[in-house]
Amino acid sequence: MEEKIISLDNLSFFVNDLIKDNHIVIGQDSKEINWKRITGAKDIVVNSKNIPSNISYKEFVFAKTEPIIYYKNKKDEFDIVEPALPRQKLVFLGAKPCDARSIEIMSKVFNWDYKDKFFNERAEGSIVIGVACNYQDKFCFCTSVGLSPVTEKGSDLFLVPLDEKNFALQIVTERGKEFIQPYQKYLSDGNQAKSKEILSKIKNPEKRFETSKVSEWLTNNFEHKIFDNVGDICVGCGQCAFACPVCHCFDIVDEECDYSSGRRMKNWDACQFGLFTLHGSGHNPRETQGKRYRQRIAHKFKYYQDKFDEVLCTGCGRCSRGCPVGIDIAEVVAEINSLA
Amino acid sequence: MNELRAKAKELLTNGTVKVVIGYIESTTPDRTKPFIARTAEDAEKLVFNKYCVNNLALYLTRKEFRRTGVVGIVAKGCDVKAIVQLIQENQVNKDDVYIIGMNCNGVVSELGQDFSAETIATKCLNCSVRTPLLYHTLLGTLEDLPKREDKNFVLMQKLDAMSAGERWDFWEDEFERCVKCYACRQACPLCYCERCIADKTVPRWIESSAHTRGNFSWNIIRAFHLAGRCIGCNECERACPAEIPLSLLNRKMGMVAKKEFDFVAGMGLDTPTLVGTYNLNDNEDFIK
Repeated sequence: MEEKIISLDNLSFFVNDLIKDNHIVIGQDSKEINWKRITGAKDIVVNSKNIPSNISYKEFVFAKTEPIIYYKNKKDEFDIVEPALPRQKLVFLGAKPCDARSIEIMSKVFNWDYKDKFFNERAEGSIVIGVACNYQDKFCFCTSVGLSPVTEKGSDLFLVPLDEKNFALQIVTERGKEFIQPYQKYLSDGNQAKSKEILSKIKNPEKRFETSKVSEWLTNNFEHKIFDNVGDICVGCGQCAFACPVCHCFDIVDEECDYSSGRRMKNWDACQFGLFTLHGSGHNPRETQGKRYRQRIAHKFKYYQDKFDEVLCTGCGRCSRGCPVGIDIAEVVAEINSLA
Repeated sequence: MNELRAKAKELLTNGTVKVVIGYIESTTPDRTKPFIARTAEDAEKLVFNKYCVNNLALYLTRKEFRRTGVVGIVAKGCDVKAIVQLIQENQVNKDDVYIIGMNCNGVVSELGQDFSAETIATKCLNCSVRTPLLYHTLLGTLEDLPKREDKNFVLMQKLDAMSAGERWDFWEDEFERCVKCYACRQACPLCYCERCIADKTVPRWIESSAHTRGNFSWNIIRAFHLAGRCIGCNECERACPAEIPLSLLNRKMGMVAKKEFDFVAGMGLDTPTLVGTYNLNDNEDFIK
């Protein structure tokens, strides 16, 4: 893998150039709440030591709310207008390995049967500039889902902090190589030995479970009481799904603009809501919170794996850190692992 | 802590209560989580400390507990205010709840923080119910609270001094982050409606989209629905993944209720609810 060096100052110039060249650069908010569009070098937060933001950056490829058609109701027919969908040149700057993989993982479901153009238009042109992760707390479990704090998986370019002022820049994909080509002037030659040494010093979070084992257990223990135990305290707030970098459920609703026209919106939704599976008849196949929690676990650690050979989880720990009632997903899955 | 465990064990063993809703240690020692103790063995796990932030009154309106019989609950003073309000609003039968009241020495504002003057929850700063107003058993002893400036109140005064336009801009900025997960509602002990107005679709009163209009209508309607009812536990603000300062809205409403109607929610079983009371002497000068 080709490796270069970029200094912190050059990184600012580089980002300024990107913005000038009509790239939309997305970076983590300094308050660690969410990600936002960077408007200048002053907004840059590339910090391998910071905590993952409360909310991931998925909203930039999978919008929290967006119109999918506009309609006008005429006497016997409808006029339908599709929203303009300009191709965006998104650049995610400073994505940790647990964020960097998110677009690839979601891409499987958004391109499995129906090709979701709203997702694809944004995702296909996007560039992920990852950064090795030096943060770790008890909620991190990336190693349990096949990632690690130092993996370049999911990134097109990957930064390794060498010292206070310099990053090693690894060129991971062809796309990354093409993308960085016009900005060579900001790069100098790198020394792979040094970044390797730094990466080798980063400690892995403890591996808590084996995904294949968990998946098999879930196949045979659909009615296990472990889910109801969590359901007892889960308040069904959906914070977990909304903060998650790979949860991708959405709801489609029509919104009236006036008596004869409106728009059809695609909005985030979550399987932890009672309304999520409520049928028009009044029947709800997942009527208790325990059943909803089971869906969350099984979708992440079994169904998605069965269907796409991919775990629907990056081990970032956002859902557990933010849960108002302290449900720790790694703890639940580790318990399943011990039962298996 | 031992007296709490002993008490819970006693209540569960002698059949006074069917379950005890309490706290157990979570992933790290500086975090706790709600727990439903059903046996004497379960009771051994219960804890009470400065990290017991949750308002457990939330669980009292759950259907599965309504059918259980008497429910024991570990409650701080502020949680008891919620219980009182729920009793007043006929959501909880006062004979179906056994309150293990805890003398409270403050809690942290967010899970995962060390307890200090910096991190003590805003609601604890001027707390008047450190010993709960209503309880069946009272445990724990009071110690001095750490003190700090009430930044939330300072911000509120700043907002009050703003013009309507400036205030709009402030809230537009804050609400922009809203993702419409409704965690605020789910974490609120007084948001117990079986069917929330936000979930009604025929007609749809509140747009579910997380755009400016949808976010304003949801957050403001929720604030109105809690006017004169919110007991200020700030669970909504704590649950919010987007860190929207919802307590500013609820606290302001509470202050208006106090100023205009001399009413504070959850302070006594003898005071009828504000919204449920018609009083000829009520101030009417806000109707224009």
